Amino acid sequence: MRIKKLLVLGSLILLVLTFSLAFARGALGYYPLPLPRVRMLASWYLYTTLNPQYTNFTAMSPVAVAAIVWDYRGLDTLFETAVFFLAVVGALTLMRGVTLKSVLNNANNKDNNYGLSLISKTAARLLTPLIIAVSASIALHGHLTHGGGFQGGSAAAVAPLLVLVIFSVYFLLSRGISEKPMFMLWTAGLLGIYLTTLAAVFIGLLTGLNAYVFQNQPKFDAPVGLPAQISGTLISGSLFFLNIFEYLAVAGEFTLVFILLSMPEEVVKSFISGETYE
Amino acid sequence: MRFVGKVLGVFFLVFIIYVVFSGSVSAYDLITGVLVALATSVITANLVISNPSKLIQVWRLGWLLIYSIRYFFVDEVRAHLDVMRRILHPKMPINPGIVKVPYEVVSDYAMLTIANSITNTPGTVVVDVFPEEKAFYVHWINAVATESAEARKHVSEVFERFAKRIFD
Repeated sequence: MRIKKLLVLGSLILLVLTFSLAFARGALGYYPLPLPRVRMLASWYLYTTLNPQYTNFTAMSPVAVAAIVWDYRGLDTLFETAVFFLAVVGALTLMRGVTLKSVLNNANNKDNNYGLSLISKTAARLLTPLIIAVSASIALHGHLTHGGGFQGGSAAAVAPLLVLVIFSVYFLLSRGISEKPMFMLWTAGLLGIYLTTLAAVFIGLLTGLNAYVFQNQPKFDAPVGLPAQISGTLISGSLFFLNIFEYLAVAGEFTLVFILLSMPEEVVKSFISGETYE
Repeated sequence: MRFVGKVLGVFFLVFIIYVVFSGSVSAYDLITGVLVALATSVITANLVISNPSKLIQVWRLGWLLIYSIRYFFVDEVRAHLDVMRRILHPKMPINPGIVKVPYEVVSDYAMLTIANSITNTPGTVVVDVFPEEKAFYVHWINAVATESAEARKHVSEVFERFAKRIFD
């Protein structure tokens, strides 16, 4: 036992020393560590991200990361959302027709027979709305500070997850947080993202001006764009809307997956084998 | 009416947390804060609050403030010093054990306050709670009393006095 510990310690020290030597001798390239000065591409983003003088290039958001994710490289994020969408659709397809309705009506599965201690349950009751408040703040300030729709939505899904683990899946479902409302929340979010990406095009069609799909701020050949500010408050055009809708979509999506994952194996099997159907 | 009271209670709680977390009181934060607090409070009101009439008894907030100051500046400091002494003492004078500590408060939040106060002070940890017996099982680094009434005097009497005034 002792020899094993010494071997582990020795190998860790050896690893650190090897890497130090490699760094020092330049074996991992001339710049294995980030450069002290900002690279050209980064300085370009930093210079244009919130710069009203460069109307053709700016995203009008002080957060370069949010601007890159939803404006400069917005299509990339859109397709990431689509990939995630397909993954959850796959999970839903596997679990098609499976529902806990019949189990829910069984009196044994009522509230207090499951879950952790009363201490955890009482704390969870108080924490649930606070988690949603914090997650909403993360999403709604995504164009102003670090965070955004995906991060906020993931944080929001912690609230139902907490209830799911500390109470039970039956408690969550009996309170109306079930598959269908979550599916609707998710779909509403995706629909919102879809409409936001087309918003500039709709404005263009109505005004007869040139416009692009996924356009945020006005460009030289497409003078329509989404408002960067509303009565002096910065909303960064499409970034604000995309963050809100991504928040709804991700929160619904994760909650849906958590509910699916917490279904008892016997119930799922009885549905898949065809013994039970609704 | 009862539901409106519950919603209002959660509304203010969520709104304050939202504004504090956002760290700004611009019009944008206040407007989005009201919207978020409204939506959240309607969804979670029944989960969070069971008796909204206690919310207008403002002296409870006064007791909460007094208890917070007392807890963090007196009870916590005392418990930390005690555990520090035990760690640094060459003989490590500990006498660990699990004792049964009864409680008399009625509401769940009062029970939670006592349980978290016990766990958050170093040296004592609530292992489990039995609401039917109205008792905690507490792991205690220096179990000087094993009899439950005596143990309660050492572990949770102060916490319980305040918890009763704040939540019961």
